[in-house]
Amino acid sequence: MRSILPGLALIAALIATSSATAHHSFAVFFNTDEKVVTVSGVVKEFHFSNPHGVITLVVSKGNGTTIWRAETNSPSILRRRGWTPQSLHVGDKITITGWPARDGTQYLRMQSAHLSDGSLVGQPLG
Amino acid sequence: MRFALIASVLLFAAIPCSAADSAAPEDTHPTAQHPDLSGFWNLDLKVPRDPQLMGQVAPGTAFIDDTGPAELPRGNYGGLKLTPAAMEKAKHWDPRAQLTPQEACRPPSIVYALQGPFPIEIFQSDQFIVMKLEYYDLVRIIFLDDRKPEADYPHSPTGFSSGHWEGSTLVVRTDHLEAATITNNGLDHSENIEVLERFRLSDDGKHLLATQEYSDPAVIENRGVRFIAWTRQPGQHVYPYECDPGFAGNYAPSSAK
Repeated sequence: MRSILPGLALIAALIATSSATAHHSFAVFFNTDEKVVTVSGVVKEFHFSNPHGVITLVVSKGNGTTIWRAETNSPSILRRRGWTPQSLHVGDKITITGWPARDGTQYLRMQSAHLSDGSLVGQPLG
Repeated sequence: MRFALIASVLLFAAIPCSAADSAAPEDTHPTAQHPDLSGFWNLDLKVPRDPQLMGQVAPGTAFIDDTGPAELPRGNYGGLKLTPAAMEKAKHWDPRAQLTPQEACRPPSIVYALQGPFPIEIFQSDQFIVMKLEYYDLVRIIFLDDRKPEADYPHSPTGFSSGHWEGSTLVVRTDHLEAATITNNGLDHSENIEVLERFRLSDDGKHLLATQEYSDPAVIENRGVRFIAWTRQPGQHVYPYECDPGFAGNYAPSSAK
């Protein structure tokens, strides 16, 4: 379920996501040097509050499951891109692409999220 | 609700800060003699640095090129020369401390907050300017009537700001800032930092342009400056930020290195 997509440079990545750094350092906490990570799973929880939303995913692993968490951009910024607290529901099957935590834990900073039909959650950057 | 907030802010702003200000004028309408900065402004990284404003920056000032979502990595302070004490503190900085319920919603000062990728909204009068930042719901009041803070005026993320017009440029000096981050990678300013900002409209009026300079001898041996630009988006307003400290509980606490 997990794949590594190489080759995004830091600046391009930052511009692409227009991410809000909020209070904790994006550059310090997330690895933006070489790769983004794609994780597919079922939404277990979705919190949509500042400084960051958090999506908890149940991800298949071998014969069992494991938990991933994805931190989103600031919800007040995501609202201007069409996100709402109802954008995701428990049980939704989604795929999230983002930057992994530097320590390799199952935590990432969301760059984009797609529903199981392939549609992008929210609007792409204009 | 929004108008109640604005009215509250304006009423607060009109409260004299010292006895000498007790005769503050009642007319709060902008006049045509100064550019009208009012409105909703969204950060715009595509706007080139303004030669006019950059030309007014003090010689030898380090240009901190991290406006917007970009951030400097650990150990890179963008040309700022840290004092030995500040460097030592930065070396031992533990970013995980940012992610506790006590710290997750602590707002940075305007030194970091103004350049963030969030919009601002400005309400302007002849006596003061109210600048509402979406980031952490910060509200700045820039007094234009030469008032001074009283002796025990508290330090805060927005400090005490006094401004005046130099032609079409709004010049703002701010002090009484609470110690907070400069570059979000271990370098904090002290509560004695002094900030000098210049704001002006672009020639076509579509953009708000600013430089934010600061000096803080306790932590940096040279001055620093950021260039910040916003684009006007009529009809919009900043959203409530309403930070939720519960976010800290969601984070894998060992992710920072």
